[in-house]
Amino acid sequence: MPGGIIFEFPDLYLFPSGLWLTIQLSVISLLGSVVIGTFVAIARISPLAPLRWIGTGFVEFFRNTPLLVQLFFLFFAAPLIGIRFSDDAFEFNFRAALLGLSLYHAAYVAEIVRGGLLGVDKGQLEAARSLGLSYPQMLRFIQLPQSFRAIIPPLGNIAIALVKNTSLATTIGVAELLNAGDIVESRTFRTVEAYGAVALLYLVLTLPMGAGVNWLERRLAVAR
Amino acid sequence: MRPDTWYLFVDPAILRFFGTGLLDTLMLSIAAIAVSFAVGLLFALLRLSTRWYLRWPAIAYIESIRALPVLLLIVYFGIKGSGLFKPFLGEDFELSRFWAGVLGLAMYTSAILAEIIRAGIVSLPRGQTEAARALGLSYPRTMRYVILPQALRLMVPAMVSQLTTIIKDTSLVGTIGVSELLRQGRTLYTTYFNPIEVFLFVAVIYFVICFTLSQLSRRLELGRAPRALREIQLRDQVAQFGRTRP
Repeated sequence: MPGGIIFEFPDLYLFPSGLWLTIQLSVISLLGSVVIGTFVAIARISPLAPLRWIGTGFVEFFRNTPLLVQLFFLFFAAPLIGIRFSDDAFEFNFRAALLGLSLYHAAYVAEIVRGGLLGVDKGQLEAARSLGLSYPQMLRFIQLPQSFRAIIPPLGNIAIALVKNTSLATTIGVAELLNAGDIVESRTFRTVEAYGAVALLYLVLTLPMGAGVNWLERRLAVAR
Repeated sequence: MRPDTWYLFVDPAILRFFGTGLLDTLMLSIAAIAVSFAVGLLFALLRLSTRWYLRWPAIAYIESIRALPVLLLIVYFGIKGSGLFKPFLGEDFELSRFWAGVLGLAMYTSAILAEIIRAGIVSLPRGQTEAARALGLSYPRTMRYVILPQALRLMVPAMVSQLTTIIKDTSLVGTIGVSELLRQGRTLYTTYFNPIEVFLFVAVIYFVICFTLSQLSRRLELGRAPRALREIQLRDQVAQFGRTRP
């Protein structure tokens, strides 16, 4: 009977704790991917060719391989080349997932930031340089601030994709939302209810974000 | 130090093992994109319908499926897939894991293709529809002979890049036990305990396929994709979203 699960199963705390981990994963990875992505974008438009090659290589590699392969690499292979994220198993899984999600989405963020940086009028940059600002100063004070408006709405879209992609962390043993569904399902065999609850919680996270992004897009488009 | 196992990747038996995985990956993606194109086209047309009882269910389907992780759909159909068909096909029906994976992938992709197709139709000048209707073509004929041929041609680059996303997403189908490329890699890794070599090898195979397809999609993109289209692609993780500058 749908709904009966609530009365017979004591492990329902898994859903809120899974939701909390999903939110943590999303927020921290988003911050991570914005930081990494911005640096990669700066490398991609840099006047130094080797930096550009590294940036392009990063973006193309992380965008054209599945996130799951990257997560598995970090989870299974990284410890063998001497990268231990933590000695605690829980922390290890969580940090591996954080790093994987950050790197993968950083490639997408880099493309957006790069688009935003290139969208700044060339005259602005020439004016900044001729006023005596160094290249880093020009980036920091002229080019980056002016690109924010163009960057924010597409960044919202990346954030939505990121929330959905945190579900992959369940495959490397992070007890996030989908993992809660898996556990409840395997103990109760109530597939529809268990995954229905998970789906609802994901919708609660992503649908308002989608509406927010649409609103931002309209607002910033009018102002432009 | 562990012994180095790179020699495995020139062994014909191992390569054949990966070959069967690659074949499964490609079959999964082709089946999923074929199914989702048909379903997506249907939902795009429903969403554009002027009748509310057709439009609203289509909006609900597209928006809610787009907002869910594809892994959730795959895992769900992996467990529950057979049960959904038993009422029509009899109690003995067993949905194979391959088709359960296709179902999960196709359900998600159909919602995105519906949005891509809709964006293509909407981006055509209104005059096209008006001219066709004024010439006496019925609504279905207008769609069939005037709108869709133009809209679908506009959509080709987006669909090619959607194919790269599907190929990347097939790696998730390994979690329900289909022996696609990444799953084969995991099997090999549990035998030889050589995750570095295995996952790098698998990553390179995915990269070669996806990079080729995304370059192709970029090549096909004549000029700039409509703005609405680029936003759909971003949110739904298409590997490429056109040039960042006109």
